[in-house]
Amino acid sequence: MNETQKSANLFRLALRRLVILFGLGLVGALASATLVRFAPGYGVTERDLDPRLSANSAEALRQKQALNQSLPAFYFHYLSALARGDLGESDSLKRPVRELLRQRFPVTGNSVIRGLGVAWLAAALLASLGLVIRGWFFEASAIAFNSFLLSLPSAVVAMLAVHLRAPVFFAIAVAVFPRLYSYIRNLLIRAYDQPHVLAARARGLGSGAILLRHVVPLAAPPLLALLGVSFAISFGAAIPIEALCDSPGLGQLAWHAALSRDLPLIVNVTLIVALVMLVANSLADFAGRTFAGSTS
Amino acid sequence: MRRVWIVLALTFVSCWPAFAGPQTADHSGGELHFCLRGEPKTFNPLLVEETSSETIRYLTGGVLIRLNRQTQALEPGLATSWKVSADGRTIKFHLRTGLHFSDGTPFTSEDVAYTMKALMDPQLHSPTGDSFRSGEGQVTVQTPSADSVVVTFPAPVAGLERLFDQVAILSAHSPKKEMAVLGPFYVADYAPGSSILLRRNTNYWKKDKEGKPLPYLDSIRLDIQRNRDIELLRFRRGEIHLIDVLDAEYFDRLQKETPAVAHDAGTGLDSEFVWFNQVPTAPFAENKKAWFRSTEFRKAISMAINRDDLSRIVFGGHARPAFGPVSPANHFWFNSSLPAPQYDSAAALRLLAQAGFRLEGSMLRDSSGNRVEFTVITNSGNKSREQMVAMIEQDLSQIGIKVNLVTLDFPSLIERITRTYDYEACLLGLVNTDLDPNSQMNVWLSSAENHQWNPKQSKPATAWEAELDRLMHAQASATSDKKRKADWDRVQQIVAEQQPFIYLVNKDAMSAVSPAVVGSAPSVLDPHAFWNAEVLRLGADPALGAQK
Repeated sequence: MNETQKSANLFRLALRRLVILFGLGLVGALASATLVRFAPGYGVTERDLDPRLSANSAEALRQKQALNQSLPAFYFHYLSALARGDLGESDSLKRPVRELLRQRFPVTGNSVIRGLGVAWLAAALLASLGLVIRGWFFEASAIAFNSFLLSLPSAVVAMLAVHLRAPVFFAIAVAVFPRLYSYIRNLLIRAYDQPHVLAARARGLGSGAILLRHVVPLAAPPLLALLGVSFAISFGAAIPIEALCDSPGLGQLAWHAALSRDLPLIVNVTLIVALVMLVANSLADFAGRTFAGSTS
Repeated sequence: MRRVWIVLALTFVSCWPAFAGPQTADHSGGELHFCLRGEPKTFNPLLVEETSSETIRYLTGGVLIRLNRQTQALEPGLATSWKVSADGRTIKFHLRTGLHFSDGTPFTSEDVAYTMKALMDPQLHSPTGDSFRSGEGQVTVQTPSADSVVVTFPAPVAGLERLFDQVAILSAHSPKKEMAVLGPFYVADYAPGSSILLRRNTNYWKKDKEGKPLPYLDSIRLDIQRNRDIELLRFRRGEIHLIDVLDAEYFDRLQKETPAVAHDAGTGLDSEFVWFNQVPTAPFAENKKAWFRSTEFRKAISMAINRDDLSRIVFGGHARPAFGPVSPANHFWFNSSLPAPQYDSAAALRLLAQAGFRLEGSMLRDSSGNRVEFTVITNSGNKSREQMVAMIEQDLSQIGIKVNLVTLDFPSLIERITRTYDYEACLLGLVNTDLDPNSQMNVWLSSAENHQWNPKQSKPATAWEAELDRLMHAQASATSDKKRKADWDRVQQIVAEQQPFIYLVNKDAMSAVSPAVVGSAPSVLDPHAFWNAEVLRLGADPALGAQK
């Protein structure tokens, strides 16, 4: 097989993967729309209790809301609008969904990336320190601390962040760190216990050289896979944390959409979150495989 | 190892700005800081329907006539004077001259005409516009000169001039459309989901007694903060200057810590009440429908509820027993001749006995032997309502009635009380922002959607509801306040006699204001703490103020 054929195959594979990802995201989004549509209280708002509205206005607004009452009709309108790049208008915020997502996505992206960075750095440092120190006291303390953080629900972490005036990314880091730490620690221990690493140490190779030449190549593929998973975890944690901290990101928007039964908004927020998670996982998977292939 | 510490130090340094507290504010001009409890749905003042948008409209909109929140009197705004015709259909305004919108566009009678036409467009479905609709037909607006406007409605509009307090005038010519305003502030920046910055409108027409231009404040920053606990926390930290509406629990907590910041302006307009579902098609047992339709049953329930205890225990004394649709805070429209509700379980039992109920041991049974038991729904997350139902449960157990509580999130609750009617009794509150009874037409007319106990009746189900219909129509078409008051007093009397809504308490209007805010005078009307925002300013001591 020549290079051109290889590139064509790779392109076809990537395209097929993308179509599958988009399809999965869409299925997730429409499933969430179905759940919201059948949730109690769908299609009613506090406006229904406003005594100032005339009977005509109340009826007109109800008719407008009724457009989304039939799910097949909603699916049809949504998909045909989506094909034109139109994400519709939020029922509750009365603004184009595209505009809302454009405003909120960078806020969440920023928090997630910074939180992930801090969590990875802290987890890697603590795991490395554990390998350097290798004492029972440090290990027990680290495990106890990690277990404590692992037991904290995201909502509690969010409230602590509010009380401590810590930024949202810090709360995301606290939620993600314990999941990363134990995994990184195990990977590093396993890599350091490999016979060739032990042999390198016995020959007196420096710790930096051992880390770069022998440990990193071994641990890199699973770590890259972990990167994708951790991205998905941090994105998931960001939703309740942003909602509770009132950070103006996708989490706050998703929370608002769910509480107000805003079908156009919830379906698009779910689509975006699902796509981000699927793409992150796929990229990590792809990078892990590529790295493993290149080092083998 | 050294490398690890270097990386740790770098991490800490890079994160430091985020962990550091907010910088000390420079209070040279003064920026008032407080929270909105939701995202404003619109900046178009004609489409306002919820509190956050209403706050923006209040602070930015210029109105022809302003209701003074403290004296409850109407005061000239953009109009220096006005006159309502004898038939109540026409209002003529004389406007201030030489005024400009925030973007410099001149203000003339054309702007008023443009605003009224836009507001009364039937396709707009504006709650503010609908308040003016009293009959079929077109509203006509004439502009005889640049400083006078005549608005004619197809039918008399009760309390016509008062409705203009809600109408923020738009510019007919400004390219900025609704963002060009005539009020004391204008929207300078909006960070969706986060905050709104209002800056002083240098073109604002009003001046203080010494001739200094108003408002005093340079700006107002409104943070969007849904969580009330966090709002309180931020107030206690000095990050915000005021909380416009405070619950009794938070009020007591603040009063214990810093008495000077907690303000109880007295009994407010808001009321809490419970009602029974009397919809004939409601999906529950017929015997229960018969109880709920019985006036004796409703009156007995009302008598068996200890409102003093509700006020004292649930609201910590910051509420007053209620017995009618109008709070005593509404000076003109309150019917002071109504008898105060008496808590009397024995009298309640006697009344129930007259209606065929009997007490067997500790259980009340109806004439067919069914145990009297019903479920009250209320919205979840509202502690005071849950406590009220718990206390009502205790009170009614004294007369052998079992009460169950079900809490629902707000959309589910609204669906039950407005669409499916799948509930037996409901406890809710009415946030009343309007003093005039005409704003309650859709509550008291039997054909109305908000006639909660039995809405959308094709013809009145009872004689007293027919009488309510007649009185409400009569007060709406009367031009004399005296006649309207007489009709509305009679409505209040019928409601007290029939108890379709069992009013429980009128809550106090409580707010919190930092001592750094000078000129604050919390009122019972909405908005409570910033109704006089144009004369508020921040004190000299920055330690007392909020941090930017």
